[in-house]
Amino acid sequence: MIEISSDVIRGYNDTMILFILMEEPSYGYEISKKIRALSEEKYIIKETTLYSAFTRMEKNGYVESYSQNADNGKKRTYYKITESGKNYYHEKCLEWTLTKEVVENFIRGDK
Amino acid sequence: METIRNYLESMFANLPNTPEVMCAKNELLSMMEDKFTELISEGKPQNEAVGIVISEFGNLEELAESLGIESVVGGAEISERRLLTNEEARNYIYDAAQSRMLIGLGVMLIIFSPIFPIILNDIGAALLFIDVSVGVGLIVWANIRMSQWKFLDNTLCCIDYSTAEYVYTAKKNNMMSKALMLTIGIMFCIVSVVPVIIFEGLFSAKDYYYVIVGPAMLFVIVGIGVLLIIASGAKDSAYAKLLSLNGTGTVAGNYEAVRATKEPYTDKKKAAEVMSVYWRTVTCIYIIWSFISFDWHITWIIWPLAAVFNGIMKSLFNTKW
Repeated sequence: MIEISSDVIRGYNDTMILFILMEEPSYGYEISKKIRALSEEKYIIKETTLYSAFTRMEKNGYVESYSQNADNGKKRTYYKITESGKNYYHEKCLEWTLTKEVVENFIRGDK
Repeated sequence: METIRNYLESMFANLPNTPEVMCAKNELLSMMEDKFTELISEGKPQNEAVGIVISEFGNLEELAESLGIESVVGGAEISERRLLTNEEARNYIYDAAQSRMLIGLGVMLIIFSPIFPIILNDIGAALLFIDVSVGVGLIVWANIRMSQWKFLDNTLCCIDYSTAEYVYTAKKNNMMSKALMLTIGIMFCIVSVVPVIIFEGLFSAKDYYYVIVGPAMLFVIVGIGVLLIIASGAKDSAYAKLLSLNGTGTVAGNYEAVRATKEPYTDKKKAAEVMSVYWRTVTCIYIIWSFISFDWHITWIIWPLAAVFNGIMKSLFNTKW
């Protein structure tokens, strides 16, 4: 089975995370679970990837973190998207459309 | 979950102990915990759940930037440290405790030595020397036995998370018996004079009990008391030693188990140097004084006095030797 190469997907981890945070603030595991479900189990994001994306985006001001007790009383770090995060997300969407268009021209289904 | 925790701790053990690193570790643990809990609730067997969580963890290199460090491979300084396995740690505790017992027995025999001249006149002096030599022999043997562990002092070593936890639990469990032995030992030393006082009151100055049994019992009781005092700290000092191995600058040096046993920092280097030769000096003084004066019935007093002095010094400098 073909697996997604981490080099290719790297640039779009942020996009996926921000997409999920557009709906509502969320925490680490929930985000990774949603990515897995939305990708129909084809992409499982690693914990370290997720964490480094969080810290990088927080540093760039795309997300904000705060701690909150979850339903089961466990303290978790939640992430919330910021205005500049939303802008960044839209930019990334446009970038992807362009990328897809370009790369698509070089893809042949047959052998 | 314990396996996952150990895995994460071992990944992080060599990283510098900074807020960023701690934060990352907690966050990653939280995520792994969530995933593990969910897998278990889905009915996955424990082993499989652990396997999945660990395989989906990723790699630390990715974190280097978020952790504010150049590289996380090895962690240069610390990779030099020799990791003490769990088994080695257990062996060390066993050996250290046994050696302490041997030293205790040796000191006890030395304290017992004046009993022989008291009970048996002529032959007693010979027995005294035999007894002292056996006592000294035990102490020397104990030191030789411990020489295989010299590397703990000479080389940088460390213990992993699960070993630290194990040692810390053992240390806590040992607290009660340590305190009990110490208390009984001190009580023995204090009550040692009771038989002498009682027999003094009950019998005339030439009576068998007055001259022989009273003094002899004094040495026996003090000897046992000192043995208890020395033995009480046997395991505890081994535990403390192991927990002090991890470098203070790393995550491993910040394990709860390690931190809980760490003494507050004081300027204790000088004091520690002096105290490192303390007991040897005391032994020397005891032996020299005893052999010069031959006042064996008095010279033993040096041991309880030395112990009390040691206690005072310890609390003054708030540290352990």
